[in-house]
Amino acid sequence: MDPPTPPLFRDPLASPSSKALDLDEPVRATDNDAALARLSAVRKGYLVDPFIIHFVPRAHLQPPRPPLINIGTYIRGTGLDELVESFIGLATGQGKKAQIVSLGAGSDTRFWRLHAGTSREHLACYIELDFPENTTRKAMAVRKSKVLSAALGRSEDIQIGDGGTSLHSSIYRLLPLDLRLPPSVSLAPKLAPILDPSSPLLILCECVLAYVASAASDAVLRWFADFSSSNDGVTGVIIYEMFGLEDSFGRVMKNNLKSRHVELPGAEPYNSLDSLRQRFFRLGFEEARALTLRDFRRTHISVTEQMRIARIEMLDEVEELELVLQHYAISWGIKLSAKQANAWLEWGIAEKSDEDWIP
Amino acid sequence: MPSDLDAQIEQLARCEYISEEQVKRLCLKAREILIEESNVQVVDAPVTICGDIHGQFYDMMELFKVGGTCPETNYIFMGDFVDRGFYSVETFLLLLALKVRYPDRITLIRGNHESRQITQVYGFYDECQRKYGSSNVWRWCCEVFDYLALGAIVDGRVFCVHGGLSPALEYIDTIRAIDRKQEVPHDGAMCDLLWSDPDDIMGWGLSPRGAGYLFGGDITKRFVHDNAIELIARAHQLAMEGYKLMFDQTIVTVWSAPNYCYRCGNVASILELDEHLGQEYKVFQHAPPDVRSVPLRRPPADYFL
Repeated sequence: MDPPTPPLFRDPLASPSSKALDLDEPVRATDNDAALARLSAVRKGYLVDPFIIHFVPRAHLQPPRPPLINIGTYIRGTGLDELVESFIGLATGQGKKAQIVSLGAGSDTRFWRLHAGTSREHLACYIELDFPENTTRKAMAVRKSKVLSAALGRSEDIQIGDGGTSLHSSIYRLLPLDLRLPPSVSLAPKLAPILDPSSPLLILCECVLAYVASAASDAVLRWFADFSSSNDGVTGVIIYEMFGLEDSFGRVMKNNLKSRHVELPGAEPYNSLDSLRQRFFRLGFEEARALTLRDFRRTHISVTEQMRIARIEMLDEVEELELVLQHYAISWGIKLSAKQANAWLEWGIAEKSDEDWIP
Repeated sequence: MPSDLDAQIEQLARCEYISEEQVKRLCLKAREILIEESNVQVVDAPVTICGDIHGQFYDMMELFKVGGTCPETNYIFMGDFVDRGFYSVETFLLLLALKVRYPDRITLIRGNHESRQITQVYGFYDECQRKYGSSNVWRWCCEVFDYLALGAIVDGRVFCVHGGLSPALEYIDTIRAIDRKQEVPHDGAMCDLLWSDPDDIMGWGLSPRGAGYLFGGDITKRFVHDNAIELIARAHQLAMEGYKLMFDQTIVTVWSAPNYCYRCGNVASILELDEHLGQEYKVFQHAPPDVRSVPLRRPPADYFL
């Protein structure tokens, strides 16, 4: 299904809440779900993230999310963190700094967490892209918070642009962008001048491509891959989203989200882990892997850590948790140019050694 | 009382909750009945065995359509009446009213969600607060939970329990020695009965739920043999097909909450045991999603977005 096409000429008298914009509101609002889920998981002690609180208005009034959502948020966050750190580590191993571009970044705190940790000096730049409504909100939150803006350098080095929809600093940038538009008019003019095509480039797509028609998201991924590999660079892409929605659980999910006016056209073609890997191969990537959140929980989180998680809220229902988790996957692919070392092909997440399960 | 009670049953069956004062009296009366029951309630076949309901009131009405109404059908409900769904109050109070009205035609077994601690995390506490404006109803219901049976035995041959077995309990008779009138403990035999799960392992394993144990086919078969029974019927775990037999049909999971949490897309079932303990699994779907089955201002089903 095609995304709604914005009208060529908008009635200048129409308010910003005119119909064409409203169609996107439910998808933009999914960021709110993600931020509240993360805040809840942090409060309960599943995750450590001192920054999320600055992105949630009236954070102290937000009720906790259900345990299943907290656990899933923990698993998703942990998996993505490991992959990102592994990528930065590989870049560092080659004496390079990594560039990260996060699509549909919403209220993500990853930049601040990386900046607060040891990865800071291995990061060349961090760019976040989202709908202008979301970037405006985030830019304001960053400016309002001393903690958040301190990571961006001196206040005179932080610039707000494009009518408040963008924010620029030496290392971090926040740019408004509609991923459904052709990359030649959306990505190219904004990113080509600021990315270094010869430095390792990591693209993060956390619950974003599913909302976009496949043709549009393919074009976006292809643009990034071509940008780097035609310049002796390397592009890594991490995609996290729902998949396998052809079964009864998936049909219920699509119906439930439809009642919130959220459609998932970009998830339609992907019904197996292999189809998620094939997306990368089709787009010319050299290596690709995929893992469901269920398998990540089973084999990539140590038993000690699993027990800690299970005890936080007395997880009442493992089957339901696994059913939900097996409909989300992390997939990642690497696109090399001729000059790049094969070490990149090893990019991934380590399985955790299994300790004894003796009661 | 019976005519009052019949009126309350009618009201609850329309998914309308009764007054706080009526709840208080119902709970008191229920405790008087439950206190007389033993930890493992003895039940005669024929009987229909049901698994988790979780406040899915309109789906429970589908269950009664498939299984027949009480008292015409003799029922065992294996716990987890509350939490998760939108109508825990109406669901539990209807079952409780039926218990008080027809004490010999319906047996209620305690599930791990019939607990003060769990209901404060998974929704029943909040629902009572929302519907009655105070925690009184929740408190009275929790006091009833403490009196619910821990299991049932049908014709001495089918053992019904919410969760499963415990390394501390080799014989059904030893369950009778437990002092059950308390909040569900964090460990020990009573906790295990409500929390444990069968699993494809040998022996005992640590449960990922953080309470109870995993138990293997060897444990299950030994228990069935040592207690001279033919089947363990339990609930507690979502079964996408409504029920799941394991370990050469020595144990079955019966799940009675279709499209669990309005999210899972599963079917549900009940197990009918005829007078010879012949098993028939009746599978049913969730109630048609009309305006009544989910509230207009319901919270959206949760996903990672």
